[in-house]
Amino acid sequence: MRNKTRLSDILLNGFVYLATSLSVLALGLIFFYVFTEGKDLLSLDLIRGNYHSRNYVATLPQSSNDSFNLQPTEQTFAIERFGLILEQSENLAGDSVIRVVYVAEDSPFSQLVLQETGNEVVSLKEGMIMMRIAYENHPTSLTSRGAAAMAADLNDPDRVVREVMFAQVGGGIRGSIITTVYLIGLTLMMALPLGVLSAIFFNEFAPRNMITKTMRTFTETLTGVPSIIFGLLGITVFVPLTIRITPASGSNLIAGAMTLAVILLPTIIRTTEEALKVVPADHRFASLALGANKTQTVFKVVLPQAIPGILTATFLGIGRIIGESAALIFVLGAAIKDSVNIYQPSTSLAVHIWAMMTDEPANVALSSTIAIIILMIVLVMNLSIKGVVSLMIKKGRA
Amino acid sequence: MGSKSLSRVDRITYFLLTIVGLISASFIVFISIFIALKGVLPFLTDNLGLGSVSLFKFLTQTVWLNGPTFVSTAYGAGFLIVNTLYIAFLSLLISFPIGVLTALFIAKIAPKKIAGILRTIIELLSAIPSIVYGLVGVGFFLPIIYSLARSFGYSSSGGSGTLATVFVLALMSIPTITSISEVSIRSVDQSIEHASLALGATFTQTRFKITLLAAKSGIFSGAILAIGRSLGEATAVSLVAGNARSGPTFGLFDITSTITSTMLTGLKETQGIDYDIRFSLGIVLMVVILLTNMILNYIKKKVGNVHA
Repeated sequence: MRNKTRLSDILLNGFVYLATSLSVLALGLIFFYVFTEGKDLLSLDLIRGNYHSRNYVATLPQSSNDSFNLQPTEQTFAIERFGLILEQSENLAGDSVIRVVYVAEDSPFSQLVLQETGNEVVSLKEGMIMMRIAYENHPTSLTSRGAAAMAADLNDPDRVVREVMFAQVGGGIRGSIITTVYLIGLTLMMALPLGVLSAIFFNEFAPRNMITKTMRTFTETLTGVPSIIFGLLGITVFVPLTIRITPASGSNLIAGAMTLAVILLPTIIRTTEEALKVVPADHRFASLALGANKTQTVFKVVLPQAIPGILTATFLGIGRIIGESAALIFVLGAAIKDSVNIYQPSTSLAVHIWAMMTDEPANVALSSTIAIIILMIVLVMNLSIKGVVSLMIKKGRA
Repeated sequence: MGSKSLSRVDRITYFLLTIVGLISASFIVFISIFIALKGVLPFLTDNLGLGSVSLFKFLTQTVWLNGPTFVSTAYGAGFLIVNTLYIAFLSLLISFPIGVLTALFIAKIAPKKIAGILRTIIELLSAIPSIVYGLVGVGFFLPIIYSLARSFGYSSSGGSGTLATVFVLALMSIPTITSISEVSIRSVDQSIEHASLALGATFTQTRFKITLLAAKSGIFSGAILAIGRSLGEATAVSLVAGNARSGPTFGLFDITSTITSTMLTGLKETQGIDYDIRFSLGIVLMVVILLTNMILNYIKKKVGNVHA
């Protein structure tokens, strides 16, 4: 009898420990996977760079016979005639490419003329890929023949450059970062005033009756609505609205921010109201007794004490904006853009991941890198909330 | 504080704040009205000469679009409803025991320091955006499920399907269930636990037969919330479901699709029936969530609050 009890106890305890380790493992798995897949691409170039690659075909208007003084390393190849250093490298897909390591300031290659238009000046920059150089009456230097051969060809004083083909590498996420920053700013600009004032209304001014109760239920119901439904609200209400009052002609960033503002609203109202509730009633009575009217009391005495709550709501909101995807796919579109305009569609970081993962083939590596950035921001937001709360507790004790 | 004591300034403030409050309360009304208005269009109009969609067929058919886009109106969402509920409940089958037992460990067994760390971990898990869960689902679960299916002699579509969706949703639901269950387990009256221990029950027996039972109502609330989230989750599901056009799918390795994943596929046109029908799906989704919530809350009332 006793043995049987002990056995079942051990078994049940085993289940508890197993379950807990599985939960911890889940977090570990997500962080481990995202970091191992995405860490290789994490760099400043990624954050600053364009997503779409661009090819240039240009001519070299001035030929130079100056000799540049260059210091190449063992793996790089100097072209003294033009002030360039090239290197043999690999792109993200693993193909071998010739990368430009250095361009001298007065190099003829910083004054190329675009062949398409015939008058637009472009310059070769560090980090770009050299694809092909064609000469008058000589065979073309190709990527497949390597950087060493290309450098030797260019250094040959007999060769006159006819045409240069080079490319700006893509895969950067600057556009999506800008969109995300715009979204955070615009959304908070709309959601914070609306949410904080609503919280003040519900907590300080609203009469206790059926109408208030219904209004409260209505705002709280928003919490349970799935985000894809907010997306539908966005395309039926906010997109047509922005098309009417702004230069936008389809899905756009402002409509996206409006949709996000509605998503954040219940959280901001609830968090602010909780902060208002803990302000002691005595403070209100004291202010009123000193002759202040209710408006002054609420905005000058009560509201300042609720600022930590509003701050918490802001951090929660930023986390939600960064992670939101379903609603934005409808309202903001899923086309990745390099130049962001608030009247046009673009992608936030989360939607950028979705767009790449639904593409064929899916770009898991870059998606994971973006996921690292998202996770880091969410982590910082969570820590900030903890910081605000512990500050509040310290202040309360003092 | 009645309105009698308000000065003129206060009355203006009160008036303006009432308007703000009304705006906040109006959004849910907007959502309901606009989605309903657009969602019924395919059933009432003749869809630019294609003929109206039959509501009965829409709710019972097992093929999403029978025929080419923009020519056919044979949309059937019946299998999507079945798939959505099937996947949500299967995922609860995994996340519920893990979530509740983790909560029990945090609330009753773990030393204070470890409990604090675990609570932070659960908070972090619930703060991770769903798209990241979807990404991990594609990159980590799909290859495993693919080779698992292969070892059973099954050729799955790259691993996407019911099982992958269930795993991703279960992973997402664990923090919801854990955090709500933990609060209700912690608030169980300690005197009944002491009574159980005094009667000779072991700690483990007390935890499982007294504490968990007493916290039943809160644990159930967590499960209801998790189901609601699983039913409405869209992007993560659309990445791993495989987007089947017909069903219902019960096989674990077969590709599937849910109401939400179908709403996200092929979003190219901005008018016409193929666009409007998404709003009909939106109505279906809301009704499914509301009904599931009502039924589960009814069950909770029937079985809950025996010991508490």
